[in-house]
Amino acid sequence: MAERDVTQARMAGNFSPRAVGVVIGVVVLFAIIVSSVFVVDQRETAVVLRFGRFLRNANEGLHFKLPFGIDRNINVETEQIKKLEFGYRTERAGVQTVFSAQDFPEESVMLTGDLNIVDVEWSIQYRIVNPRDYLFNVLDQEKTLRDISQSVINQLVGDRAILDVIGTERENIEFIGQERMNEIFGSYGLGISVTALKLQNIVPPKGAVQNAFEDVNKAIQDRSRFIEEGKEAFNQAIPRARGQALQIIQEAEGYREERINRAFGDTARFRDVHAEYQRNPEVTRSRLYFEMFEDVFVNADGTDLIDRNLDNFIPLKNLVPTFQGATQ
Amino acid sequence: MKKGVTVGVVAIFLIIVFLMLGPLWVLQEGEQAVLLQFGRIVASHQEAGLKLKTPVIDRVVKVPKKILSWDGAAQRIPTEENQFIWVDTTARWRISDPELFYESVTSIDQAASRLDDIIDSEVRKIISRNPLTEAVRNSDAINQIERRNVFATAGADSEIDDSVIVDTFTQITYPAIRTGRTMLSDEVLIEARRLIVDQFGIELIDVVIRQIKYSDDLTESVYNRMIADRQQIAQAFRSDGEGQKADWLGRRSRELNVILSEARRQAEEIKGDADAQAANIYAEAYNRDPEFYEFWKAVEAYRMLMPKFRKTLTTDAEFFKYLYNQEGGSGG
Repeated sequence: MAERDVTQARMAGNFSPRAVGVVIGVVVLFAIIVSSVFVVDQRETAVVLRFGRFLRNANEGLHFKLPFGIDRNINVETEQIKKLEFGYRTERAGVQTVFSAQDFPEESVMLTGDLNIVDVEWSIQYRIVNPRDYLFNVLDQEKTLRDISQSVINQLVGDRAILDVIGTERENIEFIGQERMNEIFGSYGLGISVTALKLQNIVPPKGAVQNAFEDVNKAIQDRSRFIEEGKEAFNQAIPRARGQALQIIQEAEGYREERINRAFGDTARFRDVHAEYQRNPEVTRSRLYFEMFEDVFVNADGTDLIDRNLDNFIPLKNLVPTFQGATQ
Repeated sequence: MKKGVTVGVVAIFLIIVFLMLGPLWVLQEGEQAVLLQFGRIVASHQEAGLKLKTPVIDRVVKVPKKILSWDGAAQRIPTEENQFIWVDTTARWRISDPELFYESVTSIDQAASRLDDIIDSEVRKIISRNPLTEAVRNSDAINQIERRNVFATAGADSEIDDSVIVDTFTQITYPAIRTGRTMLSDEVLIEARRLIVDQFGIELIDVVIRQIKYSDDLTESVYNRMIADRQQIAQAFRSDGEGQKADWLGRRSRELNVILSEARRQAEEIKGDADAQAANIYAEAYNRDPEFYEFWKAVEAYRMLMPKFRKTLTTDAEFFKYLYNQEGGSGG
């Protein structure tokens, strides 16, 4: 009956109150269904509010809630690591990350404890650990993150000398900085956790100052070079001199050997002759004497011989050397 | 039946009209509100949830319950030693008493402008009565850092061994500070709180110095100082290198002298020893029969030297003793 009525009414172009009621009912039912389910992604946690008041958290999956805005859900990306950059910006992240050519000196320029200027670039990574706190405790979360991060890094850099910051204290700053940021964010109830603080480029101000810093590195090289040069000169001369010294000593040793051998040689003949002499003193003596005479005069022609006993015979011997004699 | 339907429809209609007038309102987490009746505050709400109000008459003004940021413009302030620096501060605050807040400042912008006045002037006051280091440094930690070398910047491709460290530069002691940055900003906070208290219905949570920079004209002279400082260290390295080179050269000539003179001394000693040994050998041999040695040496010498003389002999020589006499008697 009823169906028939509806059909007739439609066909007539008129809506009976009953038909209107059904249509409204369907629409309302549909609205109820749509507004009472919600989906939470794997990366998210949802915060469910009832009449604006916190009710519960919901993890990933399909969930039900009261319809018509009585329950509201706000999805927050809790599993995602977010990143904030200071002093530089990544323009396009990827296999070949492109960084913005622009500098951000208003973030990166700071004073060190020894009152020098240094340019520090860094980034923080954080994760939302408490979505309720994150949503409702602090108004401008990212600005707060930036402000505190900057303040902490400034303070840590301000407590160190420029070369500490550039060099050995880097890791310390990262470690203490992360701890201190978490402490401060914790005190605000920001609901996030800083998972990493990474210092990127830390350099002296560009231009002449940076050149001066690099010049120190060059000077260290120069110093090594000078020392090498000195060592080279030393090594060039000294080993050779050691050899020369050995040569001088060897030569002296040679002299000694020669001198002793000669002494032995000289005395050896004497010993032999002396031995002979001891056996036959008279004969040997005479023999030596006459042999000597023989040797001396064997080749001497025209030697004058004078007999002292012949008083009246004085040969006319010219005692002045003749011209010929002088030249001989 | 029909009458009942009509009553129902009217009732629903009335309910809808009533609801449209808005007796119910929602206060969400992170918000707080004051309820105004003809402009007069009648209630304030800080807990989130479904709330009631008198339709038409009541007005709800919502303000955040969250922590708010205050970000002042960087200020150029002279320090105690009259060096101009840029100080950039930021603060966090919240509305603690919405009724008082609505009464005294009404909007957040208004409140921020009050905070501008108060915090800026406190920062100026406190920075300018402290020396620069008090604002830059937070503690004396700078003196506790152990430094092995304070020369090379990171990324220097040279590995620096310990021998490079020139003692003078390794440990620099910086003057101790009295307060430090955190205490200065806490001072600002205390002063600002004292001025704010019970006036605006707001609570100042903290004041932090976000950044301190030199003013531009000062920056230039600091750059020059940094350059001069680096140059002086570079000079120290080069001069140390040159000094070590000179040391090596000096060592070289000393070693040369030592080595060669030592060798010569040894050589002379060896030669002296040789001469002594030789003399000893000669003496030992000849001393057996000095008389014969004399004869022998004479005979040897005659043999060697006589051929060089022009000779005239007398028959007195023993050689001739047989010349006149076969008996060998004396020539006389």
